[in-house]
Amino acid sequence: MVDPWALPEIDLAACTRCGQCVAQCPTQAVEMRAVGPVIVRPQDCTYCTLCEDVCPVGAIACAFEITWDVPTTG
Amino acid sequence: MPDRQHARVHALRDIQLFASHTPHVTLSESALACIAEVVTPRAYPAETLVVVEGELCEAAYFIIAGNVEVYRMSLQGRQQVLARLGPGQAFNTVPLFQGDGRNHASVIARTDVTLYALLREDFQHALYSCPDLALVILRDFADRLTHLTDLVEDLALRSVRGRLARFLLQQADGTAIAQKWTQDEMAAYLGTVRDMIGRSLRALTDERMIRLDRGRIVLLDRAALEAEAQN
Ligand code: SF4
Ligand code: SF4
Repeated sequence: MVDPWALPEIDLAACTRCGQCVAQCPTQAVEMRAVGPVIVRPQDCTYCTLCEDVCPVGAIACAFEITWDVPTTG
Repeated sequence: MPDRQHARVHALRDIQLFASHTPHVTLSESALACIAEVVTPRAYPAETLVVVEGELCEAAYFIIAGNVEVYRMSLQGRQQVLARLGPGQAFNTVPLFQGDGRNHASVIARTDVTLYALLREDFQHALYSCPDLALVILRDFADRLTHLTDLVEDLALRSVRGRLARFLLQQADGTAIAQKWTQDEMAAYLGTVRDMIGRSLRALTDERMIRLDRGRIVLLDRAALEAEAQN
């Protein structure tokens, strides 16, 4: 199943609230909330993977499915 | 067979290592029963360290439920996630065979997990008493050795771009177990660093061999990727 709106997965239990992902996100899609960092503007997230790269504790995962280009139906 | 033993044999059947697809190395029921007798179920709450890199290896683990992450510290002090493992997968089998084997990486529970632990002494005892356990372990090691031998050749002969192109083709053609990959995981698998994977992905994108969608690497040009995989 292709998810056209895949978003980075943030593991709030692993997150130390350092704020790096919030500070570095080029589109300000992620903000610090009481629960921790949250992608508050999913439509602005470009899946650039920078937040995953800067997270010092590996709490963010931007995973990719690897496929051939197949025409989508429906 | 007592209920507890029966339940363990049942759970062990779902471990990929034991559920062989090649008939001559399928683990027999008696071997499964022998392992079921010596494994210890362990439950870890989310975010607990199960294995610490560099410490003496105490046991091999089979994941019955939940997810774990295998990671190492990079030179910059960043946690580099090497693999995310789930039910049916095993970890820490290699250092069990080394004299004073130390854990090669740390493993943390990302959800509540249930594992079967096979302690070092029990593992060695089980290997002597069930030869087909030794056979499935050897098959697993042979697979890893093949990957590492290919990787050594790749490291000497191919650029990161070439290795990545070959890897993408293998994944998209379904010749490997389907899974989603992060750039850290691709880097660990291909013997390089995340930065190089990112750069190579961008280069292949610029040359229209692939397209990066949200959460998808879409392969566009087989001929060009196959040519790239030779470099
Ligand atoms: S993937 Fe990029 S755009 Fe999306 S939240 Fe992370 S840093 Fe921001
Ligand atoms: S960079 Fe990682 S640890 Fe820091 S706030 Fe973001 S998710 Fe949490």
